[in-house]
Amino acid sequence: MNLLVEAFGFGLVSMSVIAIAAVGFTMQFGITNNINLAYGEVMISSAYVAYYVNRAGISIWIGMVAGALFGAVFSFLLNRIVYSPFIRKGTSQIGMVIVSLAVSLMIANLLLPIVGYDYVSYQNSTGELIHIGSIILTTNQIGIMAVSVALMVLIHGLLKYTRLGKAMRATAANPTLARNCGIPTQRVIDAVWLITGALCGLAGVVAAMNSDSFAIVNGATFLITVLAAAVLGGAGQPYGAMIGAVLIGLITELSAAIWSPEYKEVVAFGVLVLVMVLRPQGLLARRGAMAAAG
Amino acid sequence: MKRFEPSRLVPALVAALLLAACGGGSTSSGSGLGSGDLLVGVIAPFTGADAGLGPAYYAACLAAAPSINSNGGVGGRQVKCQQFDTRGEPADAVPAANQMVASNSNLMAVVGCTSDEAATVAPIIDRAKIPMFCMTGQTEFNKTTLKYFHRLVPADIYDAYAMVGSALFGPGHSPYKKAALVFGNDIGSQAFVQPATNAFTKLGGTIAINQPITLGAPSYRTEVAAMLATHPDVILTEALGSAGTYLKEVKTQNGGQMIPFIGTSATIDPTWFQQVKDAIGVDNLVKYYAGVDLGYTFSGPAYDEFLTNLNAAASTFANAPKYKQRGSTLHLYDGIIMTALAMLATNSSDPSVYNPKIKEIANGTSGATVVNTFKDGAAAIKAGKSIRFVGAGGENTFDQYNNSVSGYIWVAYDAQGNEIKAGQMTPQQTEQISNAGGI
Repeated sequence: MNLLVEAFGFGLVSMSVIAIAAVGFTMQFGITNNINLAYGEVMISSAYVAYYVNRAGISIWIGMVAGALFGAVFSFLLNRIVYSPFIRKGTSQIGMVIVSLAVSLMIANLLLPIVGYDYVSYQNSTGELIHIGSIILTTNQIGIMAVSVALMVLIHGLLKYTRLGKAMRATAANPTLARNCGIPTQRVIDAVWLITGALCGLAGVVAAMNSDSFAIVNGATFLITVLAAAVLGGAGQPYGAMIGAVLIGLITELSAAIWSPEYKEVVAFGVLVLVMVLRPQGLLARRGAMAAAG
Repeated sequence: MKRFEPSRLVPALVAALLLAACGGGSTSSGSGLGSGDLLVGVIAPFTGADAGLGPAYYAACLAAAPSINSNGGVGGRQVKCQQFDTRGEPADAVPAANQMVASNSNLMAVVGCTSDEAATVAPIIDRAKIPMFCMTGQTEFNKTTLKYFHRLVPADIYDAYAMVGSALFGPGHSPYKKAALVFGNDIGSQAFVQPATNAFTKLGGTIAINQPITLGAPSYRTEVAAMLATHPDVILTEALGSAGTYLKEVKTQNGGQMIPFIGTSATIDPTWFQQVKDAIGVDNLVKYYAGVDLGYTFSGPAYDEFLTNLNAAASTFANAPKYKQRGSTLHLYDGIIMTALAMLATNSSDPSVYNPKIKEIANGTSGATVVNTFKDGAAAIKAGKSIRFVGAGGENTFDQYNNSVSGYIWVAYDAQGNEIKAGQMTPQQTEQISNAGGI
């Protein structure tokens, strides 16, 4: 029983990490209609930016900000320089998926000679151990959860209560109509890439902190979990991604405690498949924040 | 909003796969040593969870090539090295192997082929009649029928027994009686589990938990909590790529204290050392880690030349010098030089002619001149002598299945990541474990 409670606590940390990444990914897709498979590589690139900042003797929490800024700028440029020209030429959605896959491979291979294949760790990224009943967490894990909760609240506030959020939702619902109504959709899309890129970069640093030790190969691993949470919640739906993150995070840890840890990802993806069979559009497809501008 | 339609992706993927599967084909010629560059294919994981393995083998080739090239080459032919990435996955390894043999008629040898992919690529390389030196310990190769297969390291079963020996008889501690087995869920790592379990339990030990872990998982918090709940005395482990994440979590959840851990010979690796050092700190690594390795001297003319060439290879591959004490790097270096000498000795670039000669050069024949470098070997061959090559990795003795078996020692790391010999099993201990394990 103790192990189950402990696993629940660990699941809270996992879901916090996944939520930041999945919300960024799903917003990017929901508003720009671009499935960016290079998301995992941007995450790991940002994690390395934070690593170099941290290695210079600066706190990893400052490194996290650097990672978020890098992710924002990198994603913005990626869209402006690579994706937008293809979209302007009328490249199909399948074509864009292949383009983003190619970008993902290019980033990974360009990064390899710079960072190498070795695993690295942040310094002082663990913090003090805290016991809350049977739940064991470190101060840094609690910090990660706090960051995640704060970001989810901010995203909710952005989408619900700001002009930019409403413009994002309008662009997501019907970009042509939004443009005809006077919404500067190109600037909205630029803002989306900056915001989701920052989330992506921050998620990369948080995921690397969560792993304690990371390498370039983790970019692909991150993407799989992020995709799972986003699809489970309903592609393009930020609140769905939050729910997807909760489910994936808790299921992986609890199944490792109940069953063999070897199969924890099998169980999580089994649940994903089951949900897709029963509800192919995902959990929140028609009721999410992106459904309509209010 | 437009929605993604997966069904439209399928034709594109099929077309991409068909394009990827296409490749040119050519055959090698066979009389004399021929002309043009010769190629050593390094087929191994260079990306993926086991990406740390391939570079160690590539470094071996980069060190061996100048040893041959600066001493006349193979009948004037220069040796080059090329990586073929298997990603550590059989599904990726098969096209990589097919592409390697189909596109390169000048392959003189193939090195690498770890346990991740050996079972799938070795038959392909054997069909192409290219001598290969595989870094796999899988038991299925103990009595292989593949004529071009060579293995310069013992089967994993011996590695597992050496770990059990370290737990029960190792220096500096009383016998560990309760072990946690934490091995990656890949083919290579799981090969240790059964022999270690057999030997340890039959000698009175208890397996507290057998925990196969998913390599590359973002965290192992629940796994570590479950493992710690069984209160093991020691962890026996090989989880390449995930060792840092797992062991850091052990330290965190155990109140900052490590548990002694014993690694396989694959943990004698600069990448592994760096990862674990970063994760748990060098003091903990030096204090709590024990490993097993083949008994290398890291000295002598063969090793000196290897080290010189390895350091020089830094201009091509910056990390090459890191592999100065990596057993597999030493062995594959020897394998490539033995192949080049076999070609010289038979005056043939036809693998079916020089392949049998590799074993003869490794084992030596009666009255053979012992040589330690390609230069000395080439000179002896030119003088009409029969040779035995004893290289940087020491003596090799191939059995009828081209498996070369040598003994293990217990090792540790110093703070700089150098291997230190910690001890060795006595013949009685070896016999005890062998009997318990069922050799």
